[in-house]
Amino acid sequence: MVVAAHPLAVDAGLRMLKSGGNAVDAAIAVAVTLNAAEPFASGMGGGGFMVIHLAKEKRTTVINFREKAPHAASPLMFKEKGDAENEWRTSTGLAVAVPGALAGWHLALRRYGTRSFADVASRAVEIAEQGLVISQTFSNINKEEYERLAKNAGPGNCYLNGGLPYEPGDVLRNPDLARTLKLIASKGVEEFYQGDLAKKIVAAVQAHQGIMTLEDLAAYKPTETSPLVGTYKNCTVMTAPPPASGGLQLLQLLNISANWPVKKWGQNSLATIHHLSEAMRFIFADRGRYLGDPDDVGIPVQSLLAKDYAEALASRILPDRPLDDYPSSIFEEKKAKKDNTTHLCVMDQEGNVVSLTQSINDFFGTGIVPEGTGFLLNDHMDDFSSDPESPNAPGPGRRPLSSMAPLIMFKEGKFFLALGSPGGTRIFAALGEIILNVTEFGMSLDDAIEAPRFFSYSVRGKPRPVFVESRIPQSTLLELQKMGYQVEVREAYDKYFGGAQGLMVVKKGKLILGGADSRRDGSGAGY
Amino acid sequence: MKNKSWVLITSLAVLSSFASAALWSEEVKAVFEQPLLVTSAGQNAEVQILAVLAKRAGLEYSLAKLAAAKDLDNMKTLALVLGTSLKGLGAAGLDMDKERDRVTALVAEAQKRNIPLLCLHLGGENRRGQQTDELITALLPLARMAIVVRSGNIDGIFTKICQEKNIPLIEVEKTADALDPLQKAFR
Repeated sequence: MVVAAHPLAVDAGLRMLKSGGNAVDAAIAVAVTLNAAEPFASGMGGGGFMVIHLAKEKRTTVINFREKAPHAASPLMFKEKGDAENEWRTSTGLAVAVPGALAGWHLALRRYGTRSFADVASRAVEIAEQGLVISQTFSNINKEEYERLAKNAGPGNCYLNGGLPYEPGDVLRNPDLARTLKLIASKGVEEFYQGDLAKKIVAAVQAHQGIMTLEDLAAYKPTETSPLVGTYKNCTVMTAPPPASGGLQLLQLLNISANWPVKKWGQNSLATIHHLSEAMRFIFADRGRYLGDPDDVGIPVQSLLAKDYAEALASRILPDRPLDDYPSSIFEEKKAKKDNTTHLCVMDQEGNVVSLTQSINDFFGTGIVPEGTGFLLNDHMDDFSSDPESPNAPGPGRRPLSSMAPLIMFKEGKFFLALGSPGGTRIFAALGEIILNVTEFGMSLDDAIEAPRFFSYSVRGKPRPVFVESRIPQSTLLELQKMGYQVEVREAYDKYFGGAQGLMVVKKGKLILGGADSRRDGSGAGY
Repeated sequence: MKNKSWVLITSLAVLSSFASAALWSEEVKAVFEQPLLVTSAGQNAEVQILAVLAKRAGLEYSLAKLAAAKDLDNMKTLALVLGTSLKGLGAAGLDMDKERDRVTALVAEAQKRNIPLLCLHLGGENRRGQQTDELITALLPLARMAIVVRSGNIDGIFTKICQEKNIPLIEVEKTADALDPLQKAFR
């Protein structure tokens, strides 16, 4: 079974499984194909996290291929730009963190896969050469990000259609990307980090006022680490640890929720939305205070995940109205809210499972395309804090805090659910709601993913509105307002709330259900 | 997975609107002068696309995403791209109330100076919603001409208002197709 944000990528993964590849082979095939089929949301110019469950070994591991700051990065590098800070953080070479995707894919393949990069990249090469038929989703996003692409991608770049956005039904051909993939297949990943591709990346970054050097690329290494582990009722959740924050925040949300009769309250009821929104606000306070690159800052992970801490937070939440204050944090509200990134899940016949989230940050990243390479460079430096005192301040070689939360869940020791989502800081909330929909409200995976969502957070101890999809009943929204909430209603299936993909085993392991999100071009297939 | 398409209204009234829309998509007459001030109502991304189209059309124009009264100095036409973008509003540091105030004041000043209004809706079906529809209802009646991408008019909102106010409505299939009527609309 394969689920991902584009049917062509799902097809690539399924073909890999059918030809005898394992879940890791298939997951990397999907990941690379997304570079061609959903280039605005991820690719070799970005990074991510991958949770792998090895069925025979009964072991779960995490590959961290999050990007890193260049060596010349400093805590004040963005703050000193003043009013132009946001522009520098998203649309210039300074926004580009050293990409980790290719190194991460390569590490996973080498350690746990059975196929070559040429094999897993073959479908991506075909799509890049033959062309991608543009969907409504792609067209909408292409229009939304038009200004940055027009400014940065270079004349004649393939990410615009004759200098204008793509319309649905147009065809995007990317022969440069095809050539790049073939080059890496023949010369190895070193070509990207030390060879001619590295020179092109650095040239493009520096031409756009960035600070990345060849040494930065050559020094990049992905890491393999143990997963972050938590529990919810009779389930064990394994997810990516910091610098991925989403998993930790999700576990906090589930820990707090466990103190309440959520099932009795009902899905998206007034009580459920109120209590979970308050929980989210407390969780954001912790995020701002404690989270950063664990290689540089100490994070009290076990304290944050302690059940009694969750109980204490739950007891602070009032049953009938929101609080006015939350523990102060240094989490900053960014002007431009992000709903980017992509997620995929794969399960093979042996029971191996991969849950992978990857991104180039903003849709279309910085819009910078190294000459002749066909891939977009990320703007993940924007995930660092502006505050030089923050645990998530930029610094040499640091990994910016990520909101990603690819996860694998086990019920009574057996694999139960793989899940993940894009959606920036809303990722953990989306995943928490989906998990509750499945475990508490008995929904099927697809229904759980499609169900309307909500989100809230706090900034410097003060509550922000509760954001809801318009499908949540008007009566509930009125009750929330009466309670004292400022309610902001968004579209019925708004990408703001993520675009989850998941797969779930039911009927005592005899059936695998896939779930894909209409908020993006989600798709799934199995055999 | 759900079907995300607009619910098609198949009443006779709309059928007749569609028939009328064909009548309204007539030969474009040059009713505007250059230079034009290009801005959005709703901080959408399509305003940048209009600037590109204006350049390709060989028009003299000025793009001001946060256009105010002073930007109308020396301008002969106000081109307003309708459509709300939460991302755009956030990037501009505005909420919808402030954007509404900005645009209302701008349009009022244009009217005071007898600068005609060209309304465009280039985002198609995806650039519709309650806030965008409120902008359309408030501003379109003041226009001298409207150019819209057809998928954004599937429920006939542009057709209805343009018919009521006798405003020429030009429908195009894709954003890029707006180039031709845009060029023809200017002397």
